[in-house]
Amino acid sequence: MISTGNDIVSLNAINITRTNDPRFYSKILSTPESKLYNKQVAAVIPFENFVWLLWSIKESAYKYLQRITPDLLFTPVKFEVTQLHLPDAYRFISFNKDQLSSVGFEGLSAFEAIITFGADTLYSRSIIYNELICTVVHTNKDFSNTHWGIKFIEDEEYTNQSSAVREFLIENLQKISGFDKVAFSKDQHNIPVIITGNSKTFPVSLSHHEHFIAYSFQYSSI
Amino acid sequence: MTRHEILDELKKVIAPYTTNKEMLAGIDDQTDLIRDLKINSANLVDIIIDAEAKYDIEIDYDVADKMMIVGSCIDVISEKVNEK
Repeated sequence: MISTGNDIVSLNAINITRTNDPRFYSKILSTPESKLYNKQVAAVIPFENFVWLLWSIKESAYKYLQRITPDLLFTPVKFEVTQLHLPDAYRFISFNKDQLSSVGFEGLSAFEAIITFGADTLYSRSIIYNELICTVVHTNKDFSNTHWGIKFIEDEEYTNQSSAVREFLIENLQKISGFDKVAFSKDQHNIPVIITGNSKTFPVSLSHHEHFIAYSFQYSSI
Repeated sequence: MTRHEILDELKKVIAPYTTNKEMLAGIDDQTDLIRDLKINSANLVDIIIDAEAKYDIEIDYDVADKMMIVGSCIDVISEKVNEK
């Protein structure tokens, strides 16, 4: 089963001056993508957030496609965001909570994008707060069974981030699925998977950056 | 520059982006920047930009994807330095 790909960027951790340097953003954006930063987009988000939004979309797409092609290498400019749609009535607000989890993006101010890599076309939804950008990529436009979560953690040490995101995922998955036993593991290609009580596995996507952790997975109880 | 000299300088480039200083001291050609040194992928472009400044080279996008394994980083830097 192919799941989702996700990514989270802590905007407090980015270097704004460096991000606005063409030597930097040209490693992430292609020339056509730079043109997506038009007047409408510029009125909503600063350029540095635009660069990291596209990074987040590309990284999520890479994580998705790496499940199909485990040896895939990540070259940001080879993942092309061809369309970017702004949410209606978007406004900058603070995350201002310990955690947020949901299924789908209905009713949320999500940035929608289409991304291509070679012959593959993928779809993304991104949520932007003052402090973070969180993206989930899926193979089609239907995110109604896409579960995702974001959490603030005090400890930004890498190993602890990694443990915290697994715990966060398992806690929410158990609430959603009703599975008594779920365990985290990695498959032979180092892709994170969840093993349920009946020994079934399904892939999940995990991400962490500085004080934020995030997960996404595809699940339907029907 | 020899591969050993490039490796020594590369450690200094990578140092600000990893907290795993013990492993950084012992990196070799097989070391993976993300899996082994726990470098956040968001810092990979920083490493490329810093390497460009350190060696006065330009690393273009079609070789940037090789900059995840230390040995490949050294290959790319060595090739670019020798082109100068």
